[in-house]
Amino acid sequence: MRRAGAMPANGPYTPNQQSESIMHSDFQAQVAFHLTGTRRSDGLEAVEGLDQRPALLAPYRDLTSLRYDFPVVLLRKPAEGAFARSLSGIIDDLLKEIAKVQDADRIGKHLLRLEQEIRTLAARGESGALSALWDKAAAALVKGPNDLIKDSLGRARALLQADGEVLDCGKALPERLIAHAWRGLQQRKAEAFRAEVDRLSLKLSDILKADFVRSPAGLSAENLRASVGEDQGKDIDFEMMSRLLTKVAPKVALPESRRRRLQWLLSALESQRFLPRPGAGGGEPLGFSFDNCEAALDAYRERLPKAIELAKAIAIARLETQGEYDELKHDPLFAEFGARGLDAEELAAFPDYFVCLNAANLQEPENARLMEILSAGLPVKVLVQTDDLREDSPVGNGHFSIGLRSAQLTGMAMGQNDIYVLQSSASNLVQYSGRVGSALNYSGAALFSVFSGAAAKTDLPPYLIAAAAMESRAFPAFAYDPSAGADWASRFSIADNPQAEADWPVASLAYEDEDHQRASEEIAFTLVDFLACDRRFDAHFARVPRAKWNGSLVSVSECLASQSKGMPDRIPSVLVVDADNVLQRNIVDGQLIREARRCRDNWHSLQELGGIHNSHAQALLAREKKAWEEIAQREAESRAKAAKPVAEAQTSAPASATQAAEAAPAPAEPERDPDMAYIETARCSTCNECTLLNNKMFAYNDNQQAYIKDPDAGTFRQMVEAAESCQVSVIHPGKPRNPNEPGLEELIKRAEPFQ
Amino acid sequence: MNMAAHECLLQLHDEHFKLEDYQSGVPRWCTGCGDSAILAAVQRLCRDEGLRPEKTVFVSGIGCSSRFPHYMKTYGFHGIHGRALPIAEGVKMARPDLHVFVNTGDGDCCSIGAAHWIHAIRYNMNITMFLHDNQIYGLTKKQASPTSPRGTKSNTTPRGSYLEALNPLTVTLGVQNVSFVAQAADWIPETLFDIVKAAYHHKGLSFVRIIQRCPEWLPDAFDPWMHDPKRVLMLTHENGIKLSSGLAGVYTNQEQHDPSNMNRAREIASCIDPIPVGILYRNEEVPRYEDLRRSKTLRTTEYIRAGLESEFDKVTVWPEESQEQQAA
Repeated sequence: MRRAGAMPANGPYTPNQQSESIMHSDFQAQVAFHLTGTRRSDGLEAVEGLDQRPALLAPYRDLTSLRYDFPVVLLRKPAEGAFARSLSGIIDDLLKEIAKVQDADRIGKHLLRLEQEIRTLAARGESGALSALWDKAAAALVKGPNDLIKDSLGRARALLQADGEVLDCGKALPERLIAHAWRGLQQRKAEAFRAEVDRLSLKLSDILKADFVRSPAGLSAENLRASVGEDQGKDIDFEMMSRLLTKVAPKVALPESRRRRLQWLLSALESQRFLPRPGAGGGEPLGFSFDNCEAALDAYRERLPKAIELAKAIAIARLETQGEYDELKHDPLFAEFGARGLDAEELAAFPDYFVCLNAANLQEPENARLMEILSAGLPVKVLVQTDDLREDSPVGNGHFSIGLRSAQLTGMAMGQNDIYVLQSSASNLVQYSGRVGSALNYSGAALFSVFSGAAAKTDLPPYLIAAAAMESRAFPAFAYDPSAGADWASRFSIADNPQAEADWPVASLAYEDEDHQRASEEIAFTLVDFLACDRRFDAHFARVPRAKWNGSLVSVSECLASQSKGMPDRIPSVLVVDADNVLQRNIVDGQLIREARRCRDNWHSLQELGGIHNSHAQALLAREKKAWEEIAQREAESRAKAAKPVAEAQTSAPASATQAAEAAPAPAEPERDPDMAYIETARCSTCNECTLLNNKMFAYNDNQQAYIKDPDAGTFRQMVEAAESCQVSVIHPGKPRNPNEPGLEELIKRAEPFQ
Repeated sequence: MNMAAHECLLQLHDEHFKLEDYQSGVPRWCTGCGDSAILAAVQRLCRDEGLRPEKTVFVSGIGCSSRFPHYMKTYGFHGIHGRALPIAEGVKMARPDLHVFVNTGDGDCCSIGAAHWIHAIRYNMNITMFLHDNQIYGLTKKQASPTSPRGTKSNTTPRGSYLEALNPLTVTLGVQNVSFVAQAADWIPETLFDIVKAAYHHKGLSFVRIIQRCPEWLPDAFDPWMHDPKRVLMLTHENGIKLSSGLAGVYTNQEQHDPSNMNRAREIASCIDPIPVGILYRNEEVPRYEDLRRSKTLRTTEYIRAGLESEFDKVTVWPEESQEQQAA
């Protein structure tokens, strides 16, 4: 950064050598400005026309020389689920490919120049496909027919596979990007849907066709003749053939009710307008993209009966094509189908509704309609684009608020619990494309709240404004994904914000001091810094000339961090640079500070929801810690008090506890009478030996494994023989039931090995 | 994704089957035959999984094991010697909606059908295959089979067989595209069922070798392993099978084996004593032939007609053209 004004060697906050009285009057003027917003003395200068910008944004004068997320290419053919890629990402891929070929260094350098040229074109507002902009940029770079650049770019171009519309960050971006992702998803859905409907239609018509071929009409001489063809049919007597075939053909025709059902299914499937085949007749396909909620809601309501009919037809057709439709069983079931609308799973095959709104037009009754449509559990995806974060207060009088509408909207939507809510600055959308995809894939409603940064009154490009809004917590990025889990910890994330743990992100500002030495300082980027980008807020700032800088000028973050009562003793100020990159200091009026405080408090709430500095968790932790400390203290005290006899008792107690613990996991063996015969059923290998011996005594259970059904249904001899012949030795004969059975002594001996 | 309400209702209305619904006829296997244990386990699987008999096919070749389809009240195909697998593959290709099982024996699969066995592994179609390995030709009354241990005395080898037995596990694990290999023993029915179940759920060719006792022709061949649980190496893993507490108490010789570890699987497969029991290898990622070859094009009448026309055109002799040629 270039330095023109004098700068104290030891930082910007050191008081200058001034007389007490002058200092006091300057301070009074600053306090007065801070409280009233009017510049009363010569010591304060207006900032209008100074072309200032926040000091941290000084390095970003020329975005076209930077490689960043923009412009973005809306991929014509989504690759690996990604619907958009940054230009630099695509160029990086090309560079990787080029690294493998000859002259890689030269081609790489030229390719980077081309990237910059395309970026410049896009920043100038040129739009079109990447291939078109590539050609345009290449034409501008190539100086002559023998220029090496021509060769480099030609070879790089041959490797380029991705193509699609190139878009820079701006007002058009949010709608185009999200609509593009939505369209890609609907297309995939449509292809799967059509393939299934076509398959079902074909199978259904095959059933009807097979029935026709066997019917008297199908076996008529005319039909037979037609199916053979003119030339070949000359020598065949079709009348005879028809008589013969009619006689021998089986007389089973489709029941009339089934034929009617098949015909109804076919007409329902083929006349559907939800996702018709391209070029199919029967009217225009239905549109699913809307610019207001009322129209989307009306369309949904109007189409619901048709959607129910189609979903029902698909479900019945699946059963019919598998020959499983049973009128007795299924007729009553399908009579009730869709009586309560369709559930999310049934709707999943249908297209989602897409509504694109601008926050500036979001007045009643549209606002109420929006909440209605979101909370109805419909598969509707709504984009609310905010171009301007400044909203005039209805009380007038110059009051305004920053980002209030989007906070209200997302807050209400998250309160519904089942709406996917995604908020992001346009600058972050490329990074967030995974989340955009998952929000579009979500089975219920989704709300996208996106800030474009296009309406600010400033010389800065919309990308910087959008990025600064996110950086300064004026428009934080977050995602609420109801499908991710049951609690806030798994559903809500603010992790994508810069330094999400902190109140404000802190960055290092390097500058040249008055001794031409490099100095640097950590600076927080607050809401006030963000507002300093916008000329409409100039009246809320006053430049303090270099000579009047003193210790009472503090940064906004420092001012917000400390609560002062009574007369302010310190004045909040921001560091800015002018058009020549000279560091300047503006003091800020109270109104902006109040807004900054509200913004920070909102951010604190989001942080708590996102699990950062959560007050409930911290309170619980403190309680637990206290309880734990108390227990530890009590234990220490009781140990100190412990006398010897107690110690003895203690040693015996844990021993018995260990025994109990050891005994517990032992498998619970069922109590068995050792005299009773039994079979280890789970180990039986179904070899039939025992059941063939006596199927009243031995039987199989539900799993075809043997058990003793009735020990008295046979002799002890049979029991012993069964045990001996059992292949896996799982029969245990027990003791004889009848003491009068002959030969018992020998049998008991034979039974011994199996007990 | 959850099930739609109407799908739940349809499932509620589905028929539920009992084990008896899958039983057909009285098996003609000898009493004490290990095949009965396999039949019981498979019938239990059908009942537990609610496999609809009209959607289930058992295909077999020739041998004791291959009588299996007769005893299942499902569709079945008692094929010719060694050709169970090609028939099953044809069934699966034409009707991918069917559950296809193959029952084959050591003679059927490892001798006359060995070529089909190798290529079935390579094709990896979604079929569950049970190799009933009793190490002997039983139906033809005792001839040595490829898996008979060296020294087996039989009608064809009265002085004892001369060759080392073929190891079906190592052979299968050596073929490209192998995706599921397990070994079970008929005398441990609980594990047999667990393995049969895992094999059924695997998407691809699941090869299960079941060591099966033949009480008639090799009555004591497996007694040393059957009576000494230490000579059975139980392969357990959270991705494989888990033993019940009762079984774990009996079979204490256990190894934690991750079925994705091919190298260890090959080592274990080479082990003859103790007999490994469990899932040796499983890989769901191997592509299935029916998926690779399945055409997305709907076979409409027009499509079939156009295909036939173009084929016929290749060999059609057009009278006008031939006359013109003759004239020339």
